[in-house]
Amino acid sequence: MADAIHSMAVEEGLAMKVIVAKDKLVACTNDVMRAVSSKTTISILTGIKITATSGGLTLTGSDSDITIQAFIPTEENGIENIQIIKPGSIVLQARYFADIVKKLPDDTVTIEVDSRLMTRIQSGHSEFNLNGMDADEYPRLPVLREENTLSIRKDLLKQIIRQTVYAVSTSENRPILTGANWVFENKTLKCVATDSHRLARRTVTMDVEENHTITNLVIPGKSLNELGKILDDRDQDVVEMIATDNQVLFKTDHIQFYSRLLEGKYPETEGLIPNDVKTEVVLKTKDLLQAIDRASLLARDERNNLVKLKTVDQSSLEILSQSPEVGRVYENVPANKISGEELRISFSAKYMMDALNRIDSEELIIQFTGAMKPFILKPVDDPDLLMLILPVRTN
Amino acid sequence: MAMTWSDLAKKQPAAMRILMNGIRNNRLAHAYLFSGGRGVGKREAASHLARAFFCRARDGIEPCGACPDCKRIDSGNHPDVVVIQPDGRSIKKPQIASLIKAFSYKGVETSKKLFIIEQADLLTSQAANSLLKFIEEPQGNTLCILITEHSQKILATILSRCQVLHFKPLSKELLVHHLLENGVSRVMAKTVSAVTSDAEEATTLSKDEWFANSRSIVLHFMEDLLTRPNHAIITMYEKCALHFNDSDKMKMMLRLMLIWFRDVMALHIGQNDNVVYVDRMESLTEAAEKMTAEQAACALSLLMEAQRRLQSNGNPLSVLEYVSLKLQEGAGVYA
Amino acid sequence: MAESKPARIIFHIDMNSFYASVEMRHHPEWRGKPLAIAGRPEERRGIIVTASYEARKKGVKATMPVWQAKRLCPELIVQTPNFDLYKKASQQLFQLLRTYTPYVEKVSIDEGYMDVTTIKAGMHPVRLAQTIQTRVKTELELPSSIGIAPNKFLAKMASDMKKPMGITILRKRDLATKLWPLAIQEMHGVGKKTAEKLKALKIYTIGDLAHFDKKRLESMLGVYGGKLHERANGIDDRPVDPEAEAVHKSISQSTTLPEDIASVNEAKDVFLTLSQRLSKKLKDHNVCAYQIAITIRYHDWQTVNRSKTMKSAVYLSQDIFEMAMFLFNENWDGRPVRLLGISANALEDAAFRTKQLDLFTYAEDAKDEPLLETIQQLEEKFGTSVVQKGMRGFASQKEHKGRSSNDKSTF
Repeated sequence: MADAIHSMAVEEGLAMKVIVAKDKLVACTNDVMRAVSSKTTISILTGIKITATSGGLTLTGSDSDITIQAFIPTEENGIENIQIIKPGSIVLQARYFADIVKKLPDDTVTIEVDSRLMTRIQSGHSEFNLNGMDADEYPRLPVLREENTLSIRKDLLKQIIRQTVYAVSTSENRPILTGANWVFENKTLKCVATDSHRLARRTVTMDVEENHTITNLVIPGKSLNELGKILDDRDQDVVEMIATDNQVLFKTDHIQFYSRLLEGKYPETEGLIPNDVKTEVVLKTKDLLQAIDRASLLARDERNNLVKLKTVDQSSLEILSQSPEVGRVYENVPANKISGEELRISFSAKYMMDALNRIDSEELIIQFTGAMKPFILKPVDDPDLLMLILPVRTN
Repeated sequence: MAMTWSDLAKKQPAAMRILMNGIRNNRLAHAYLFSGGRGVGKREAASHLARAFFCRARDGIEPCGACPDCKRIDSGNHPDVVVIQPDGRSIKKPQIASLIKAFSYKGVETSKKLFIIEQADLLTSQAANSLLKFIEEPQGNTLCILITEHSQKILATILSRCQVLHFKPLSKELLVHHLLENGVSRVMAKTVSAVTSDAEEATTLSKDEWFANSRSIVLHFMEDLLTRPNHAIITMYEKCALHFNDSDKMKMMLRLMLIWFRDVMALHIGQNDNVVYVDRMESLTEAAEKMTAEQAACALSLLMEAQRRLQSNGNPLSVLEYVSLKLQEGAGVYA
Repeated sequence: MAESKPARIIFHIDMNSFYASVEMRHHPEWRGKPLAIAGRPEERRGIIVTASYEARKKGVKATMPVWQAKRLCPELIVQTPNFDLYKKASQQLFQLLRTYTPYVEKVSIDEGYMDVTTIKAGMHPVRLAQTIQTRVKTELELPSSIGIAPNKFLAKMASDMKKPMGITILRKRDLATKLWPLAIQEMHGVGKKTAEKLKALKIYTIGDLAHFDKKRLESMLGVYGGKLHERANGIDDRPVDPEAEAVHKSISQSTTLPEDIASVNEAKDVFLTLSQRLSKKLKDHNVCAYQIAITIRYHDWQTVNRSKTMKSAVYLSQDIFEMAMFLFNENWDGRPVRLLGISANALEDAAFRTKQLDLFTYAEDAKDEPLLETIQQLEEKFGTSVVQKGMRGFASQKEHKGRSSNDKSTF
């Protein structure tokens, strides 16, 4: 009884207090640190927000474009991770906090915040005192309606990102093209990215009829790349996706990844994908990739990294690249099948390699529609993937 | 004490009326240009407009000032408020790039976004051109506030797309009032508002130690000229010449001396309320007794001539010597 | 033609395994060791761009994969290309050559022609070549081979005959013994495709070509066939053109304004005129630009130069104008301007001009496709200078100086 009175007196100025397993804290801090940028102009975003509720501890990091939240449940598989002594929240300088927790000596860490936001981090014999920032200053995340969740396999999500996001624009000339367009209709999720010189389109059939929130989103390419990196093997196999007007959330069992959406309407691209095939080539993906890779060696000092391709007969392609200063290279690439008109076309070796590197199928169909029109790359065994490259006009 | 629209309207009634109506009728323009001199309340008005735009606990047109939105606008932590300030002498390309990028994303918390561009006259024309697109066809619920002291330097194409609100210079009375509110003494408030009509400069000067010293040195010198003219020359060399040791500083000395003779004139014509050096009423009264209004006018024109000499690169010390000797001769007249 | 003029003396200076030599100069510790320059040496599939003579002796050749070269020569040092270094060495080389005569034509980074006909009498051409070769070797630490002949073609063939550090004279009277026995693919200007066509005509050596019927050759290979025939017979009247490279560096237009201007609109008018003039000059020279730069000189003579490099070359006045205005808007600080200028840099022969097509606008370019296909077919049949696409400025594929070896008709 006397103890209880004593502890109450001590905790009078207490705003938050938790005792947490260090390894969990370090892992979660690392996850949310991926969203923290040192370049932010909003000072509160230099911090990590730590919120203790009865259910567990939530860490949040954000650069305002993406926000990552990691959650440590109080109890997991019967093991107690955290003791919540007083729920509350605080924002601590991310860089210092991350470095400190990594180096703490003991297996558990006590984080204690007083009413003046002074934060004591204690572990074993070591104790740090940090000035905290008011958690009310931190951006508030959108409130999401759980019933509008769309579930997607994690490996599939990673593949979508890998096979499309490379084609987004990196120039701010047309900001909308820095994002990928995700459209969900008729049980199909269609993901398109283009920088106007090449395009990638991946479709995925879903089990659900429709989803009210995910109808037409433009997700920044940068966010998707970051998402691709953070989705690792620790997680369960399914990722849940929810969108609001401004943000989209990808949720795994211990990470919530929010991205701001791009403003504006994504341009219509379906009509620009030609379908009047003039020449069709079927060949081994690896053969073409290696030939282009070698050809680009000589081309890489040149503008556009240009290579030229020509059909020789019904069975092979010729790849040429030349640089007046270095020399020239010929490659002969055997094809399984070539049908249609004879063709010669020039294109960027880089664009071609970017596409080929992301086609997992052993065999590939290339459909040419003319020397000055886009050509299409498709895996032989995967109708859901389409890649398109605009050629280079040489005269 | 939270700021209110009526506080702001005291300084800028016309401009605030337009903003208040806009909020009341939910008909704010997409873009405003706040134009006017320094310290006339442009930035306060922009902040208040931002609070009114975002506050979710607004009482009529008045933001609550206490909710997370209001508080974060004050602390600079609101994620959907972007403030651009010049980096050095201009608003540079990377800043505009980041602004344009911010424009291209949806808001972090709601669909609302607000951008404040300070010293918008320092936008390069390329930067201004890229802004045009956004001002013209804003996406989402976007509000843009441009702030400038030199609206004539703003591209015409920008001007034509903004609603321009003119912020008037503060009257001397308002300026003194403003300074008093900011804890400046009455004596100092009167002095600085006689030196400048720029509220921000006035605030800075009123807290400046050098300026406070300047004031007492000049008054000491003027009183010497009045009571012991022979000693005044020593004061001039020992104090004035050392303290006002370059052209800009000397300019200040001449301004402070002008105020003295203007005060003398004011006493002559019975406008005692207009006296600036209110703490030296006794000396001023003595001076007014010793010199006629005509003589005071002569002293004023002498000082103005000295200002011109200084302007055309006259040596500050010789300008000071010239003025002092002339005044000392004059002092002999009324001694 | 050439015979009617007094005999010329032309040198062709060819640097021996230039990149490798420059690298060795830069890394003296590699001297005498086998060295190869290759893209991505860290990866086994990188290919050799060039190799030192020490490496060549072990069988290392250009375009060989690194792994294969390493197998032939395990101690091979493999280095990635450092073009800046090579360009600097090249500049030094041509500077040195120009101390003898202004008639120096740079063909590429590591070879060039000199017309030494007018160099003061008293110096025998071979002595002169020896002096140059020695100076290049001692002062620049770079080995070279020099061919001496009455014209560019023969000089080029001669420099190839003895490497490294060779000096070879190829006179008209030597043709039958020194030139004609060479296999046809050895001939400068005959690429893989042309060689195949010639072999189909049973032309296996340069001699076969020299004795072939010229008219028939022209009907088979077009104008170019006739040229090859002349060269095989030792005829080549192309001058050594010191401008060949210089004109391709930069073309500019500028104007001092009668009165200082202080508004964008006034600048617009000036840039419009300058763009039109510049565009015309580009067309006259048959080149296009990958970089546009502007000059702004203020009333106080402070001068600002700013440039922008593009992915697709420009030559149309509208494109140049837009670029110039972009640069002006971005860089003008509002002060009165006394002079404005535009220059076109990073020039490329119009025939080599490329344009990365755009998904949202490709339909425009695709309209030209049928016409260009016809041109291509005609050119293959009658030679490249026959057809021009006229107004649009996708101009004649005139034989690019120093690149005559490219049988462009292939592509």
